[in-house]
Amino acid sequence: MAEFLMVIIGGLKIGAIYALAAIGLIVIHKATKTVNFAHGGLVMLGAFAAYLIVVELNWPYWLAYVLIPILIGIVATLLEITILRPLRRADLFIVIVATIFLGIALSETFRLAQNTEMLAVPAAIKGPPMMLELGEDLIIITREQIWVCLGALTVGVIGLLIFRYAPAGRSMRAMAANVRGAQLCGYSVNRVYAIAWFVGGALAGLAGVFAAPSHGVSPELAISVITAAFVAAVIGGFDSLLGAIIGGLLLGLAETLSAAYVSSAMKSAVSFLLLFVVLLWRPEGLFPEAKGRDV
Amino acid sequence: MQAFWKAIARAATGLAVAAVLAVSAGPAAQASSQGVTDTEITIGALGALTGATAFIGGPGRDGIQLAVDKINEAGGINGRKLKLIFEHAFTPAESVAAAKKLVESDKVFVLILASGSTGAAAAANYVRETGVATYNIYGATPIIRKPFAKNVFHSAIPGAEVSSQAMIDRAFEARPKAKKIGVLAGTYAFPQANKKATIPLLKKKGVEFVVEEFDQGSRDFTSQLLSFARARVEAVLIFGSFSEAGFAIKQGPEKGLTGVTWVVDGSAVNDAIVPILGAENTKNVWGYYNAPYFPGQSDAPITAYKKMWTAKYGKAPQGRPNLYDLVGYGSTYVLAEAMKNAGKNLNWDSLIAAWSSLKNSKPSNLGGVEITFPQSFSKTNHQGSTELGKAAIKGGIWQVVPK
Repeated sequence: MAEFLMVIIGGLKIGAIYALAAIGLIVIHKATKTVNFAHGGLVMLGAFAAYLIVVELNWPYWLAYVLIPILIGIVATLLEITILRPLRRADLFIVIVATIFLGIALSETFRLAQNTEMLAVPAAIKGPPMMLELGEDLIIITREQIWVCLGALTVGVIGLLIFRYAPAGRSMRAMAANVRGAQLCGYSVNRVYAIAWFVGGALAGLAGVFAAPSHGVSPELAISVITAAFVAAVIGGFDSLLGAIIGGLLLGLAETLSAAYVSSAMKSAVSFLLLFVVLLWRPEGLFPEAKGRDV
Repeated sequence: MQAFWKAIARAATGLAVAAVLAVSAGPAAQASSQGVTDTEITIGALGALTGATAFIGGPGRDGIQLAVDKINEAGGINGRKLKLIFEHAFTPAESVAAAKKLVESDKVFVLILASGSTGAAAAANYVRETGVATYNIYGATPIIRKPFAKNVFHSAIPGAEVSSQAMIDRAFEARPKAKKIGVLAGTYAFPQANKKATIPLLKKKGVEFVVEEFDQGSRDFTSQLLSFARARVEAVLIFGSFSEAGFAIKQGPEKGLTGVTWVVDGSAVNDAIVPILGAENTKNVWGYYNAPYFPGQSDAPITAYKKMWTAKYGKAPQGRPNLYDLVGYGSTYVLAEAMKNAGKNLNWDSLIAAWSSLKNSKPSNLGGVEITFPQSFSKTNHQGSTELGKAAIKGGIWQVVPK
């Protein structure tokens, strides 16, 4: 039982990072109808910025949590303004190709700039693990696990609340519902799209800060995160922020449980199996936001 | 008309004979002084500059180039300057292609395998067939070592049986009464070579052991660590890179492995593992090192080396310079000394003869800094050094500690 609980906690930690990455992806998609395949690259940039702040500059860790969302949000906004805005009227396929290669460009630039296998970032919260007795067994929980689970999920919920209740969120929801209608209500497409990319980028940056200690900073981080974020987003229903959180957690749990009780080789297979089952059984995802209306 | 056909027949016969001679002679018959001119000696090297083993190839290139520059600044070898051509090669196929290009197109005089076991194993047959003077500076794999080839020399990374024995020794020094040992090995070439060497040694020692494997670049070790926790192992030997070993050790407590002794191999003995683990979680981590100093230590030779490194390459990224920088640098000096001893008439035969009689070769013999163990060779033993320092993390950095 103790082992099972430790596996669950491990799964929740990974799932919380997936959830945070997936929310950023969905915010951008919901408001701008752009599937951002460069999102993994933004997560990797967030992790790299954490390395610079914590390891290179030796600044306090909390500054990484404050500065990086702003920094990566600005980077994402600039990408939208310089690359995606000119493509706004282009075919969807062209936009998708643009974001795919944007993601590759971010990863490869990092690879060329950093002549090393991986950059390591220390954990934000240090100290010995906590040990809870469960009968004759011990449940061991590290402080980092608690921090990542609670921290990433809290940020995710804040993101969800912003989207649902803040004025900026209202503008994005309006744009998501009907672009022409939102414009007629006085919302600027350029401004709302920039805000959406800023929020999505900020969430990606934070996902990078949370992921850096447990994944390291390398170009492979971009690929592993974007893959998981997409699966989590599809499981949750691609337009549902709450669904993304739950989808991320489900994916993290499924991967970890399969690694623990089947084999580590099954980890990726299980995540894709989960994806196919959801697509076949409920193509709209487990928590679709848009409701059908009876007329 | 008859004369015309006779001429054609003679020409055809001549061409056929020439072709048969060329084919039967094979690549080994190529000029054995290729790559050597009156003023220059071209050496070729291959290794991964990107991908999961870039932590070997990139430092290898930089270490070799640094030594080449310094040797040239000091006047070169018997009046000839050294020139390095480095080819990126990550996969086995790329390694064979890179070796062929360097030997057959670039006409290098010596081929340095700076790729680790994967590339060394892939290029093994080719270098044996061609007879090109080859220096395997990182590969622990037995494929490049057996059968013995007179043209293939090995540097400071010994065969897997030597390093495996050192790791087992470290584990039992820390846990003399250990009865169960975990073996965690990557599925790629060098961890597999070490795993194969370790299992007979553990059997001989009469201890129980559990073997688990992981794919290259893995970050999640849930299933492997749970297996060790269920078996209640007391020490774990890890064969993999610093990032793989670092994340495995870090996740140990999360999976119920507390108080376990971790022994990592030379590839993982890298200062970049410390931030992964957290400095406070390093007291049960041991390893071995193929050089007398870690880059993080402040002894005079390694300080002088770091100064040279920084002057050439600028501020070092995390984890650099690493073991492969040091061995690349030191090995190039060993090669240079062999070439110097071969004299002015430099060809593969003279080089191999001089190399095979090299004793106590070290960078300081040619004005370099002493950052690698001395290397010695004989006609029947081409392993330059089998010396391994005992490594532990002290004060947040790896250090070679007294045995």
